[in-house]
Amino acid sequence: MDSGDQAPAPEYSEDGVDLSLIRWMLTLTPAQRLEFLEERVNEILAIRERNAGA
Amino acid sequence: MPEHKLTATLRALREGGVEFILAGGLAAVLHGAPVTTFDVDIVHSRTDENIARLLAVLESLDAVFRIQPERRLKPARSHLAGTGHLNLITRYGPLDVLGSIGSGLTFAELVPHSTELEIGEGLRARVLDLETLIEIKAGLGSEKDLATLPILRRTLEEKAKRQGR
Repeated sequence: MDSGDQAPAPEYSEDGVDLSLIRWMLTLTPAQRLEFLEERVNEILAIRERNAGA
Repeated sequence: MPEHKLTATLRALREGGVEFILAGGLAAVLHGAPVTTFDVDIVHSRTDENIARLLAVLESLDAVFRIQPERRLKPARSHLAGTGHLNLITRYGPLDVLGSIGSGLTFAELVPHSTELEIGEGLRARVLDLETLIEIKAGLGSEKDLATLPILRRTLEEKAKRQGR
Protein backbone atom coordinates (compact mmCIF):
# COMPACT_ATOMS: atom_id res chain seq x y z
CA MET A 1 0.00 0.00 0.00
CA ASP A 2 1.21 3.51 -0.78
CA SER A 3 2.33 5.01 2.50
CA GLY A 4 0.63 8.24 1.47
CA ASP A 5 -2.78 6.57 1.40
CA GLN A 6 -5.01 7.43 4.27
CA ALA A 7 -6.20 4.44 6.26
CA PRO A 8 -9.98 4.06 6.31
CA ALA A 9 -11.47 5.32 9.56
CA PRO A 10 -12.59 2.55 11.89
CA GLU A 11 -16.33 2.27 12.22
CA TYR A 12 -17.86 2.03 15.66
CA SER A 13 -21.47 2.17 16.76
CA GLU A 14 -22.58 4.90 19.16
CA ASP A 15 -22.12 2.48 22.04
CA GLY A 16 -18.56 1.68 20.99
CA VAL A 17 -18.99 -1.64 19.21
CA ASP A 18 -16.53 -2.38 16.39
CA LEU A 19 -18.85 -2.86 13.43
CA SER A 20 -16.08 -4.04 11.11
CA LEU A 21 -15.52 -7.02 13.38
CA ILE A 22 -19.22 -7.91 13.27
CA ARG A 23 -19.32 -7.51 9.49
CA TRP A 24 -16.28 -9.77 9.15
CA MET A 25 -17.90 -12.41 11.37
CA LEU A 26 -21.03 -12.26 9.24
CA THR A 27 -19.01 -13.16 6.13
CA LEU A 28 -18.24 -16.54 7.76
CA THR A 29 -20.54 -19.55 7.97
CA PRO A 30 -21.64 -20.68 11.46
CA ALA A 31 -19.22 -23.62 11.18
CA GLN A 32 -16.33 -21.28 10.32
CA ARG A 33 -17.26 -19.02 13.27
CA LEU A 34 -17.17 -22.00 15.61
CA GLU A 35 -13.83 -23.16 14.19
CA PHE A 36 -12.35 -19.66 14.62
CA LEU A 37 -13.59 -19.43 18.22
CA GLU A 38 -12.24 -22.88 19.03
CA GLU A 39 -8.79 -21.97 17.67
CA ARG A 40 -8.72 -18.66 19.53
CA VAL A 41 -9.84 -20.20 22.81
CA ASN A 42 -7.08 -22.81 22.59
CA GLU A 43 -4.50 -20.14 21.74
CA ILE A 44 -5.60 -18.03 24.72
CA LEU A 45 -5.49 -21.02 27.07
CA ALA A 46 -2.03 -21.96 25.82
CA ILE A 47 -0.79 -18.41 26.53
CA ARG A 48 -2.39 -18.52 29.97
CA GLU A 49 -0.68 -21.80 30.71
CA ARG A 50 2.72 -20.51 29.60
CA ASN A 51 2.23 -17.56 31.95
CA ALA A 52 0.72 -19.44 34.87
CA GLY A 53 1.92 -17.89 38.08
CA ALA A 54 3.00 -14.67 36.38
CA MET B 1 -4.15 -29.27 29.89
CA PRO B 2 -6.89 -30.87 27.75
CA GLU B 3 -7.62 -29.09 24.50
CA HIS B 4 -10.90 -27.22 24.42
CA LYS B 5 -13.11 -29.05 22.00
CA LEU B 6 -16.35 -27.18 21.63
CA THR B 7 -17.29 -29.06 18.46
CA ALA B 8 -16.46 -32.45 19.97
CA THR B 9 -18.76 -31.72 22.93
CA LEU B 10 -21.62 -30.87 20.61
CA ARG B 11 -20.92 -33.84 18.37
CA ALA B 12 -21.02 -36.20 21.36
CA LEU B 13 -24.40 -34.77 22.40
CA ARG B 14 -25.82 -35.11 18.89
CA GLU B 15 -24.48 -38.60 18.35
CA GLY B 16 -25.92 -39.57 21.72
CA GLY B 17 -29.34 -38.49 20.48
CA VAL B 18 -29.67 -35.72 23.07
CA GLU B 19 -32.29 -33.06 22.39
CA PHE B 20 -30.90 -29.65 23.33
CA ILE B 21 -30.73 -26.01 22.36
CA LEU B 22 -27.40 -24.28 22.30
CA ALA B 23 -27.54 -20.99 24.24
CA GLY B 24 -25.13 -18.48 25.77
CA GLY B 25 -21.98 -17.10 24.21
CA LEU B 26 -21.54 -19.95 21.77
CA ALA B 27 -24.99 -19.31 20.31
CA ALA B 28 -24.02 -15.64 19.99
CA VAL B 29 -20.82 -16.56 18.12
CA LEU B 30 -22.71 -18.90 15.78
CA HIS B 31 -25.00 -15.99 14.91
CA GLY B 32 -21.95 -13.86 14.11
CA ALA B 33 -21.33 -11.93 17.33
CA PRO B 34 -17.59 -11.33 17.88
CA VAL B 35 -17.46 -12.46 21.49
CA THR B 36 -15.27 -15.03 23.22
CA THR B 37 -16.59 -17.79 25.39
CA PHE B 38 -14.99 -20.77 27.06
CA ASP B 39 -17.98 -22.96 27.84
CA VAL B 40 -20.82 -24.70 26.06
CA ASP B 41 -24.30 -23.82 27.39
CA ILE B 42 -27.17 -26.13 26.56
CA VAL B 43 -30.84 -26.19 27.55
CA HIS B 44 -31.97 -29.81 27.42
CA SER B 45 -35.32 -31.47 27.01
CA ARG B 46 -36.28 -32.90 30.41
CA THR B 47 -38.22 -35.92 29.23
CA ASP B 48 -37.22 -39.18 30.92
CA GLU B 49 -35.82 -40.57 27.67
CA ASN B 50 -33.73 -37.50 26.93
CA ILE B 51 -32.39 -37.30 30.47
CA ALA B 52 -31.25 -40.93 30.14
CA ARG B 53 -29.50 -40.14 26.84
CA LEU B 54 -27.89 -37.00 28.28
CA LEU B 55 -26.71 -38.86 31.35
CA ALA B 56 -25.04 -41.49 29.16
CA VAL B 57 -23.24 -38.82 27.11
CA LEU B 58 -22.13 -36.97 30.26
CA GLU B 59 -20.76 -40.23 31.60
CA SER B 60 -18.84 -40.80 28.34
CA LEU B 61 -17.40 -37.28 28.61
CA ASP B 62 -16.29 -37.85 32.24
CA ALA B 63 -18.47 -34.93 33.34
CA VAL B 64 -18.22 -33.79 36.95
CA PHE B 65 -19.31 -30.62 38.74
CA ARG B 66 -16.82 -27.78 38.24
CA ILE B 67 -17.10 -26.73 41.84
CA GLN B 68 -14.72 -28.84 43.89
CA PRO B 69 -13.60 -30.89 40.84
CA GLU B 70 -11.29 -32.91 43.12
CA ARG B 71 -14.39 -34.56 44.61
CA ARG B 72 -15.39 -35.82 41.15
CA LEU B 73 -19.10 -35.32 41.84
CA LYS B 74 -21.06 -36.69 38.90
CA PRO B 75 -24.39 -35.28 37.73
CA ALA B 76 -27.35 -37.52 38.52
CA ARG B 77 -30.70 -38.12 36.85
CA SER B 78 -32.44 -36.06 39.57
CA HIS B 79 -30.16 -33.07 38.86
CA LEU B 80 -31.00 -33.20 35.15
CA ALA B 81 -34.73 -33.44 35.86
CA GLY B 82 -34.78 -30.06 37.59
CA THR B 83 -34.84 -26.52 36.20
CA GLY B 84 -31.49 -25.55 37.72
CA HIS B 85 -28.08 -24.99 36.19
CA LEU B 86 -25.35 -27.64 36.34
CA ASN B 87 -21.86 -26.24 35.83
CA LEU B 88 -19.79 -29.20 34.70
CA ILE B 89 -16.28 -29.87 33.47
CA THR B 90 -15.80 -32.60 30.88
CA ARG B 91 -12.75 -34.00 29.13
CA TYR B 92 -13.50 -31.54 26.32
CA GLY B 93 -13.87 -28.49 28.58
CA PRO B 94 -16.60 -26.70 30.54
CA LEU B 95 -20.24 -27.61 29.83
CA ASP B 96 -23.23 -25.90 31.45
CA VAL B 97 -26.38 -28.01 31.42
CA LEU B 98 -29.40 -25.79 32.01
CA GLY B 99 -32.87 -27.03 32.90
CA SER B 100 -34.24 -23.58 32.13
CA ILE B 101 -32.92 -20.11 31.35
CA GLY B 102 -34.06 -16.52 31.82
CA SER B 103 -37.42 -16.33 33.55
CA GLY B 104 -37.70 -20.11 33.73
CA LEU B 105 -37.90 -20.80 29.99
CA THR B 106 -37.64 -24.50 29.23
CA PHE B 107 -36.50 -26.45 26.17
CA ALA B 108 -40.07 -26.82 24.87
CA GLU B 109 -40.72 -23.08 25.24
CA LEU B 110 -37.44 -22.19 23.53
CA VAL B 111 -37.77 -24.50 20.50
CA PRO B 112 -39.88 -21.96 18.55
CA HIS B 113 -37.14 -19.40 19.25
CA SER B 114 -34.34 -21.51 17.84
CA THR B 115 -33.06 -22.65 14.47
CA GLU B 116 -31.01 -25.61 13.29
CA LEU B 117 -27.62 -24.56 11.98
CA GLU B 118 -24.85 -26.54 10.35
CA ILE B 119 -21.98 -26.04 12.77
CA GLY B 120 -19.40 -28.51 11.47
CA GLU B 121 -18.88 -31.28 8.95
CA GLY B 122 -21.99 -33.43 9.17
CA LEU B 123 -22.92 -31.71 12.41
CA ARG B 124 -26.09 -29.73 12.98
CA ALA B 125 -27.39 -28.23 16.20
CA ARG B 126 -30.43 -26.29 17.34
CA VAL B 127 -29.29 -22.80 18.32
CA LEU B 128 -31.22 -20.17 20.29
CA ASP B 129 -31.96 -17.16 18.09
CA LEU B 130 -30.21 -13.88 18.66
CA GLU B 131 -33.39 -11.93 19.47
CA THR B 132 -34.25 -14.32 22.32
CA LEU B 133 -30.67 -14.38 23.56
CA ILE B 134 -30.75 -10.58 23.80
CA GLU B 135 -34.12 -10.59 25.61
CA ILE B 136 -32.87 -13.13 28.13
CA LYS B 137 -29.59 -11.36 28.80
CA ALA B 138 -31.37 -8.00 29.16
CA GLY B 139 -33.82 -9.60 31.60
CA LEU B 140 -31.06 -11.14 33.69
CA GLY B 141 -29.45 -7.74 34.08
CA SER B 142 -26.16 -8.95 35.55
CA GLU B 143 -23.08 -6.89 34.72
CA LYS B 144 -21.64 -9.78 32.71
CA ASP B 145 -24.79 -10.13 30.64
CA LEU B 146 -25.29 -6.40 30.17
CA ALA B 147 -21.67 -6.02 29.04
CA THR B 148 -22.22 -8.16 25.94
CA LEU B 149 -25.61 -6.68 25.03
CA PRO B 150 -24.32 -3.84 22.81
CA ILE B 151 -22.33 -6.35 20.71
CA LEU B 152 -25.35 -8.67 20.39
CA ARG B 153 -27.69 -5.82 19.47
CA ARG B 154 -25.34 -4.40 16.84
CA THR B 155 -24.84 -7.91 15.42
CA LEU B 156 -28.60 -8.30 15.10
CA GLU B 157 -28.81 -4.94 13.30
CA GLU B 158 -25.97 -5.80 10.93
CA LYS B 159 -27.54 -9.18 10.16
CA ALA B 160 -30.86 -7.51 9.41
CA LYS B 161 -29.12 -5.07 7.05
CA ARG B 162 -27.40 -7.93 5.23
CA GLN B 163 -30.71 -9.71 4.88
CA GLY B 164 -32.30 -6.52 3.57
CA ARG B 165 -34.70 -6.19 6.48
